[in-house]
Amino acid sequence: MSQPQAESRPWWLGFAVILMGGLWIWGSLKLEISDRLSGLGPGAFVLIVGAALVLLGLILLWQIARGERFEPEDTEDALADAPVSYPALASVGLAVFLPALIMPYLGFPITGMISFMLIAWALGSKKVPMNLAIGAVLSAFAWYGFTNLGVQLGAFFPFAG
Amino acid sequence: MTTFDYLMQGFGVALQPMNLLWAFVGCTLGTAIGVLPGIGPALTITLLLPATTLLSPTSAFIIFAGILYGAMYGGSTTSILINTPGESGSMMTALEGNRMARNGRGGAALATAAIGSFVAGTIATGLLTFAAPAISELAFVFGPPEYFALTILAFTSVSAVMGASPVRGFISLFIGLALAVVGLEYNSGQARMTFGMLELMDGIQMTIVLVSLFAIGEILYVASRFNSAAPAVVPIKGKLMMSRQDWSRSWKPWLRGTFLGFPIGALPAGGSEIPTLLSYSIEKRLSKYPQEFGKGAIEGVAGPEAANNSAAAGMLVPLLTLGLPTSATAAVMLAAFQNYGLQPGPTLFTQNPELVWGLIASLYIGNTMLLVLNLPLVGLWVRLLFIPRPQLYAGILIFAMVGVWGISRSWIDLLIMGSLGSLGYLFRVYSFPIAPVLIGLILGPTTELQLRRALQISQGDPTILVSTPISAVLIVVSLLILIGPPLWSFSRRKPVSATAEDS
Repeated sequence: MSQPQAESRPWWLGFAVILMGGLWIWGSLKLEISDRLSGLGPGAFVLIVGAALVLLGLILLWQIARGERFEPEDTEDALADAPVSYPALASVGLAVFLPALIMPYLGFPITGMISFMLIAWALGSKKVPMNLAIGAVLSAFAWYGFTNLGVQLGAFFPFAG
Repeated sequence: MTTFDYLMQGFGVALQPMNLLWAFVGCTLGTAIGVLPGIGPALTITLLLPATTLLSPTSAFIIFAGILYGAMYGGSTTSILINTPGESGSMMTALEGNRMARNGRGGAALATAAIGSFVAGTIATGLLTFAAPAISELAFVFGPPEYFALTILAFTSVSAVMGASPVRGFISLFIGLALAVVGLEYNSGQARMTFGMLELMDGIQMTIVLVSLFAIGEILYVASRFNSAAPAVVPIKGKLMMSRQDWSRSWKPWLRGTFLGFPIGALPAGGSEIPTLLSYSIEKRLSKYPQEFGKGAIEGVAGPEAANNSAAAGMLVPLLTLGLPTSATAAVMLAAFQNYGLQPGPTLFTQNPELVWGLIASLYIGNTMLLVLNLPLVGLWVRLLFIPRPQLYAGILIFAMVGVWGISRSWIDLLIMGSLGSLGYLFRVYSFPIAPVLIGLILGPTTELQLRRALQISQGDPTILVSTPISAVLIVVSLLILIGPPLWSFSRRKPVSATAEDS
């Protein structure tokens, strides 16, 4: 039986799960007060979860070592065996993370407009002005509609005071 | 009052003009998302959570019920006309339905799918009407050990069955449980896993997790491997009607699919894939025309479609009676209940009869609406497939951001959205199931609470967890689900190696 190539083995997945488990174990050990009646302190459940993650991470490493396959999912708009488009991924990543930086200062409509354009660009629509316009209209519409429904989305233009 | 009286009371609520309008909105949205790729009922309900907070819980759940059923109807349209199941439960429909459409029998395929969905949805809602109150009565005998055991059963069954492997399912589950412990611990008031951030004291909001894993993860994944090919729609030839022979070949599969889908849908991790698959294989075996299977057999559409819709109603049984989500959509609906400060379970039937019975009555109404909406408007639904994907996914992000930013206008929430969205992307790339994360996140606090209560009753003696027959059975079943499959495969492997040694 042919073994999968070394680079197809995502060892880091197992280590990431172990790291997360370790972090939760460490967090549980900082919680010291226990419930005398039940014997179950506030850290007990956290400890159980952390320990389970460490154990599962080790099992995952063992499975990876044995050649476990990790195949991407086929969905309606994505081909599992298609080569990964890193520029598209980066553009969507920017659209998703940028709002954390600019939303408090530029407000929902402008942030939405920029993110809309970035995603549309990532998915092949290179008509930047058109996508900015659609993004602006859709974001402004969403802001107006949801604000009237009682959802607090902040000022339309926070920088305008 | 009898169940029938309660149901009539429910119809009194569901037939109010505004609630009828909400049912129509839900059914329309549900059908649209069933047709559109990348958006499922779970994501749609999540995106609507902020918008529905101003509505009464009854109206909100009438919309959600319409979405749940509508998605099943919409999924069959894409399966038949473009060979692409809008929902996972429509996979078997695509197999035969698209063949029928290619053979010029698309109208009959759509008709048997819609009428079958209606028949199954109505019968299954009837079963839900009478089964749910009985099960909720049973749940009154549940104490902390039973509830703890029940959550353990939900954890093991969902994690072991969903996804590419049980290990990945359990990793997903424990990631959900790990996220669930973030925030102030209710008993001692100590901050857990907040890393000194005040914004995390209230825990990680469910809406953020749902939006991130479903919407952001999907957008990242689609962008990375985008298939820009336009869908090839098979034109519908002839009328959207069934011949006498189609009727005679369809009614039995509808009924079989219904009675197969309902109980399996009610089981943890039962979902809609297993009953539709089973229905397909049963119909293939029982059909008088087995040679037509794979070439466009109407039974292969009628049975699985009925099973699919029936499973959706079955899913509501454990959710409403025990507060137990058995799928991602059920988990999102449970989160919606919690959003309103409601806890599904036996007390919901006594404390909020208007909500529960209004919801159940709206399922009957929604089913009828969907039959009327779907068949005559099939051309309109198909046009939705031509919405340009770049703008569709970009629009989804706008609505996702409304849900996240609208919670507390915190940049940390947006950062969590990006981070968990990246996790959702990795889940898709490495085939980790998402539903266990949600179930861990939602049921984690309940599990911890019931475990603590049980141990307080027994003053720290863990044997209380298996001290009653119900809890013992539930724990044993959980253990069987956990260790059964590996033991089974090990026992099957042994004779093979022995044979190899002999040779």
